Amino acid sequence: MTQPPVLAPARPFFLDAAPGTRFCLYHAADVHTGCRGAFIYVHPFAEEMNKSRRVAACQARALAAQGYAVLQIDLFGCGDSSGDFADARWEIWKTDLAAAHAWLRREIAAPICLWGVRLGALLALDFAHEFQGDIQSLLLWQPVLRGDAYLTQFLRIQTAAEMLAGQAPGESGTHKLREKLYAGESVEVAGYRIAPAIAKGIEAVDAAALVPRQPTHWFELTQEPQRPLSPATSRLASSWAQHGAKPIITRVQCPPFWLAQESDDCPELITATSARFGIPPA
Amino acid sequence: MNIVERPLVFSCHGDWSYGILSLPAAPAARGVLIVVGGPQYRVGSHRQFTLLARHLAAQGIPAMRFDYRGMGDSQGNVRDFEEISDDIRAAVDAFFAESPGLQEVVIWGLCDAASAAIFYAASDSRICGLVLLNPWVRTEEGIARAYLKHYYLKRAFDPDLWKKIMQGRFDGRAAWRSLRTMLETVRRPVKQNGGEIAPWGTGHGGAPALPERMHEGLRRFNGKVLLVLSGNDMTAQEFSDLAKTSRKWQKFLRGPNVQQHQLAGANHTFSQEAWRNQVAQWTTDWIRSW
Repeated sequence: MTQPPVLAPARPFFLDAAPGTRFCLYHAADVHTGCRGAFIYVHPFAEEMNKSRRVAACQARALAAQGYAVLQIDLFGCGDSSGDFADARWEIWKTDLAAAHAWLRREIAAPICLWGVRLGALLALDFAHEFQGDIQSLLLWQPVLRGDAYLTQFLRIQTAAEMLAGQAPGESGTHKLREKLYAGESVEVAGYRIAPAIAKGIEAVDAAALVPRQPTHWFELTQEPQRPLSPATSRLASSWAQHGAKPIITRVQCPPFWLAQESDDCPELITATSARFGIPPA
Repeated sequence: MNIVERPLVFSCHGDWSYGILSLPAAPAARGVLIVVGGPQYRVGSHRQFTLLARHLAAQGIPAMRFDYRGMGDSQGNVRDFEEISDDIRAAVDAFFAESPGLQEVVIWGLCDAASAAIFYAASDSRICGLVLLNPWVRTEEGIARAYLKHYYLKRAFDPDLWKKIMQGRFDGRAAWRSLRTMLETVRRPVKQNGGEIAPWGTGHGGAPALPERMHEGLRRFNGKVLLVLSGNDMTAQEFSDLAKTSRKWQKFLRGPNVQQHQLAGANHTFSQEAWRNQVAQWTTDWIRSW
C-alpha cells in the first residue's frame, strides 16, 4: 500500500565501540553534487537530545542535498546506543567521537567538520581541542559555554518538578543534589540518572579554555535579533579573539527547539546554516 | 542480555521511516510494537522506550519502536496522532517482515499514542492486544474539569500557596484569569443533535468527540487491553473522570478483556527508574499471562 520513496534512505547502523555499540544514522551526500565535506552531529544532553532530533534530521537532510555527508551518532548511554545513561562519561563520549571520525574517514575522502548542539557543542569544542586528526571546521548551535553552570540548570529541573508535584525542595534543592554527587552518590533528574563522575566531567569543561583552531560558525537563537549578544557570549568571543580565534556569530530568530513541548521545525535556523555551507558564487 | 538490536528502514507513502527491532535469541510469537506519543521520538522520554524494548527482548518478547512520519529521524511533515494509522500499518508490516516466527502484535502506547493505537487496533487482525498508558482523551471540558477538581481545589488548601501570596510572589491576576477561563469552559453547555446536552461534547465539524471515537474503537477491537494510569498526572486523571461519569466506559473497563493498574505517585511519563521498571514488569507479566 505504500509506494517506495524516490531518494535513497539514510543508512542506520550500529558502530562497534567500547563498550558496546553506537547507533549511527549516515546521510550520504547527494550523488548529483558529489561529496564536498562531512559533518559529525554531536547531540545535546538528556531530554534536549530527544527534543532536537527532528530539527537535526531536517538539517542533516538539507546538508546532504547540498553535497555534505552527515553522520549522526548517539553517544554511549544515549538514544539507541548501548549502555545506561548512568554509566555515561565525558571521556567515553570523546572516544565515541573519535570512533565516528575514524568511520567517516574510511567512508569518504572529503573534509570533516563537527556540528554540536548545546552541551554537544561544548563536547565538540573539547574534542576538537585535543584531537590530533583533521577537523576542518566547527558548527555550533546555541553552545553551552560553561559545564558547571549547565549542570546547575539541569539539576534545577528536578527541584522544579518536585515543587510542581507539591513537595518542598528540601532533598532535591540544587545544593543538596550537588552535595550528594560530591559524596559519591548518583542522583536522578527527570528520569536521567547522573553519576558523580559525569557530573564532574561536565563541570570541568569551560569553552574559554577551548579556543578553536578551526573556522567556527556559531549560531545563537533569539526571539529578538535586534538585541545585543548576551554578556557571556560577548565575553567568550573577545577572549577567544585574544587568542586568534574569530568565530562567526550569527543570530537567528527561532524558538529554543531543545525545550519544545511540541515539535518545532526551525526553518530559519536550517536555512541560515545551509546558506553558510552553501555553494559559493562562481 | 542475549538480544540483537537491528535498525529498520521502511517506507510509508513515499517517505522513509526509521525504527529499531530488539530481537531475543528465541523470540516469542507475540511481539510488542511501541508507538511514540507527544513530541518524542522512538527512544522515548528519558529513554523509556529503548529500555522497555530491551527489557522485553531480554524476556524473550520481540519489540519494535519507530518514528512515524514527521517525527524524529523519519521523513515527512509533522502530523497529529489521529493521522498515523498508515504509519502504524507500515511498521507492523516491517515488524512481521523482519521478525521470524512473529504471529501477533501488542501495541504499546503512552498518552496520545495510546489513543492512536485504539483508532488502529480493530482495523488489523494481527493486533491482539493494547497496552494503554495515560490515554489522551482530552476535550476542553474534560481538562477544565480535571484542573478545577484536582489542581485549583487542592491548591486552595495548600499552605505553600498562601505563604507565596503573603510574600507577594504569586501572580494572582494571571491565576484568576486562567481559573475564570476554566470555569467558563465547564459551564458552557455543549449541544449535540436534538439539543441534548452531551457531557463530553463533540469534536470539530460535528464529528464525535475524542472519547466517543476511542470508545467506539475499543468496542470494535476484540483483543485484550492493559490500562496503566499514573497517580500524579492530569491526563490520567481526566481519563479516570471520564470513566466515572460514563456508564459505557465503566462497562468497558469492567469487561473480561481489560486489566488495570494504577501507579501511585507516578507522573505522566513515568520519569523515575522505579516507575519505569514497574511499567516494564506489568507489561511483561500481562503479555505472558495469556
